[in-house]
Amino acid sequence: MNLEYSGRERIAAGRETVWAFINDPAKIAGCMPDVIESHVVDEHTFDAVVQVAVGPVRGKFKFHVVLIPQPGGEHMDLKISGGGFGSVVDLVAGADISVQSDSTVLDWKGTATMRGPLAAVGGRVLDAQAKRVITTTFANVKAQLNSAPAGAA
Amino acid sequence: MSTTIEPEAEKHAMGVRMKRKEDPRFIQGRGRYLDDIVLPGMLYLALVHSPYPHAKIVKIDKSSALAVDGVVAVLTGEDLAAHGLAWIPTFHGYDKQMVLCVGKALYQYQEVAGVIATSREAAVDGAELVDVEYDPLDPVVDPFAAREDKIILRDDRENKTNHIYHWEVGKRAETDAALAASDVHVKERIVFQRCHPAPLEPCGAIADMNPATGRLTLYMTSQAPHAHRTVVSLVTGIPEDKIHVVSPDIGGGFGNKVPVYAGYVVAAAASVVLGIPVKWVETRTENLTCTGFARDYHMDVEIGASKDGAVTALKVTTVADHGAFDAAADPTKYPAGLFGIVTGSYDFANAFTELDAYFTNKAPGGIAYRCSFRVTEASFAIERGMELLARKLNMDPAELRLKNFVKKEQFPYPSPLGFVYDSGDYHMTLRKALDMIGYDDLRKEQAEKRARGELMGIGISTFTEAVGAGPSKHFDIMGIKMFDSAEIRVHPTGSAILRAGTKSQGQGHETTWAQIAAEELGLDPQNIMVEEGDTDTAPYGLGTYASRSTPTAGAAIAMASRKIRERARKIAAHLLEAAEDDVEWVDYKFRVKGVPENTVTMQEVAFAAYTNPAPNTEPGLEATFYYDPPNLTFPYGAYIAVVDVDRETGFVKVRRFLAIDDCGTVINPMVVEGQIHGGLTEGFAIAFMQEIRYDENGNNLNTNFTEYLVPTSLETPHWETSNTITPSPHHPIGAKGVGESPNVGSPAAFVNAVMDALAPLGVTHVDMPLTREKIWRACRQAATA
Repeated sequence: MNLEYSGRERIAAGRETVWAFINDPAKIAGCMPDVIESHVVDEHTFDAVVQVAVGPVRGKFKFHVVLIPQPGGEHMDLKISGGGFGSVVDLVAGADISVQSDSTVLDWKGTATMRGPLAAVGGRVLDAQAKRVITTTFANVKAQLNSAPAGAA
Repeated sequence: MSTTIEPEAEKHAMGVRMKRKEDPRFIQGRGRYLDDIVLPGMLYLALVHSPYPHAKIVKIDKSSALAVDGVVAVLTGEDLAAHGLAWIPTFHGYDKQMVLCVGKALYQYQEVAGVIATSREAAVDGAELVDVEYDPLDPVVDPFAAREDKIILRDDRENKTNHIYHWEVGKRAETDAALAASDVHVKERIVFQRCHPAPLEPCGAIADMNPATGRLTLYMTSQAPHAHRTVVSLVTGIPEDKIHVVSPDIGGGFGNKVPVYAGYVVAAAASVVLGIPVKWVETRTENLTCTGFARDYHMDVEIGASKDGAVTALKVTTVADHGAFDAAADPTKYPAGLFGIVTGSYDFANAFTELDAYFTNKAPGGIAYRCSFRVTEASFAIERGMELLARKLNMDPAELRLKNFVKKEQFPYPSPLGFVYDSGDYHMTLRKALDMIGYDDLRKEQAEKRARGELMGIGISTFTEAVGAGPSKHFDIMGIKMFDSAEIRVHPTGSAILRAGTKSQGQGHETTWAQIAAEELGLDPQNIMVEEGDTDTAPYGLGTYASRSTPTAGAAIAMASRKIRERARKIAAHLLEAAEDDVEWVDYKFRVKGVPENTVTMQEVAFAAYTNPAPNTEPGLEATFYYDPPNLTFPYGAYIAVVDVDRETGFVKVRRFLAIDDCGTVINPMVVEGQIHGGLTEGFAIAFMQEIRYDENGNNLNTNFTEYLVPTSLETPHWETSNTITPSPHHPIGAKGVGESPNVGSPAAFVNAVMDALAPLGVTHVDMPLTREKIWRACRQAATA
């Protein structure tokens, strides 16, 4: 089952600040919902254990997250792979970064592929859950940047 | 020429509505199923499944699983390969299948590893921690894509193609010419969707290797215990006398418990290595995703006819989706089963059918789900085809059928696709159905409703089956001829034990087998104990599936009884002090010809067999018979469904359903009715609810009973049943078998009824399952067209 999502976040911070934030695996890990624990592997990679509850599929999923910054500082790719309880989730996302008036804009879109019991839960339930995870993550990015003192982050 | 018998008065035991002898223990919860068996020191097996439908196995790390408290061992395909058990042959012998993944996974949920532990919970916990690294490959989900061979799924095979086999029967050129010359021609792609038998009790096994004796006892949910014993011996090299298969009470099989599954083999391998009993019982999800599915035939059906509705030619071209392995348990010479029955009840002068089967990244199977090897697919194709023809001709579908039926006087009828139908009176049976349901009145009601814009439909299905595989000259499984057997021992006091090579999974053999023997021997059926499923005690047989039990083992019981009766005649002559030739069997007693008052009963003969046998005769009273049927039997029926369709919601209300079955001689009407009620309910589920669907990534979307629906009493319609009796001329008691008729015949009746209801909207065909969404969409599209 393939699910596609997209969205836009307008952040009251400079482009360099936003770029630095989304290049930091520890900060991105902190923006993902339902994370029980996370471990930064290297400057672009982290592992996370996430509490998942989608229909009958409930428990801890392990995810491997790779940040792939593109040269020029205007686009970031993100690959998340992992799963648990016989289910596999692969998420490929990308974010374009641009400056509009006094804000930095993240235009993001992603495709999630589900396999195993998770795929059989049913599109409507799954779609809502996956959408919640992705939108919450980007919303948290925005929230943390907006709440950070000027020059921080 | 067929002989038809009106239902007659009850005999001694045959035709008696006797309550099932097995039911008291079932309804009191005292059945003994596989999971009820607990052996001392028993370990438990849980399986690890692939989330990917197609992926290379890069690495399997057992360490975390082995660290779980209670986990004893973790087995992989490589471990089994070291013992020559990585692959096992499929039942018809043309393919092999992995036990656990070796090199790559070929379908989602395929078994990758097995974890053995001291408790079921520890085994499951361990299975969750087996770390498998996969390298995903693009899956092939659609059989039509598979035939393009862009991705080859089975690189273990010599031929690098997804094509498994081509099969055909009939006269292609003559059929094509007749179709081209026909006045009227219909053609439709008809899909019989992938569905699953979903027995309420899933599959399981306990393997118990005794290191002291070297004997392996396998408790299995097996529909064919002897065949499984032979397969285990062939695969493992363990001598067959060192293997004891026990099939306890089984909670439904429907063909699902015929193949050999990974859990059986891994449990056996683990027990052989460890010398400890190992139990495996699958979950519902494992049952639906790993074990044998049914159908998945994509059939192009063409029928030609004259203007007045006389059929001239039938051609059916099929693409079959077999999944990752060719694991359909068909007889060796019949890769597409008995699909040649596709001419059905109709007298086609020309017919041709061909089929190509393909591998896909789906679970393997193609089992005979409550049908005789693809007879259901064939019946659905011809019954939908005849309905489409009636629509095209603007002819009443009942009239079209009556015009084209094989006539009573044509039996034995050689069909253009190679069968010789043994008996039938199709006109009589359909006319009885039309009369009972009030067909003419229903058509009038329909016309009135249509005038008011209401959608009412009447659907007919007049199917013919070919069952009872079968004659040894044609039928074998892995070379083993498809006879069946019975052994009867009459005890001194006139009770008896009867053992057969079949295995009941709910069919009621403990009752009906006793009735056959009781009828032949004049004994009390309540005092004939029937035992099946233990290979140490039962005579060799091929088991119970494909409606074969009554045509084969039922015949063997009658013949074994007659052998006993012939032996008993000698003893009776001794007791009656008469010459053997002067002793006759009349009214369930022996008597001297011309002296009707001078009789001895079978009970008296039995006592004498042990206490006062005739001089120079062998003591005791028992016999064994292996029955090799001369032909298949051909049960048939006329089913009529009446439905109302709500065009705003897509809801279909099955208002009436009448099933008239002709299964030849009826052993126990109550058991027959029970079989028909159950089969109709399954047919209803297939028609309206059930499908094993895969998405474009090869995900199985129907992995439990919230997605794969089983009707409850709330959804199930009321069934009306009756019968006609046209005995099989070659079966010892004239019986044909009935267990599968309702599943075979009913889907077409349901679909024909719904399509008839939608006829005013111009809808001609919708593939099953006819969900509310599909019907609603069909109505919507028609409204906006």
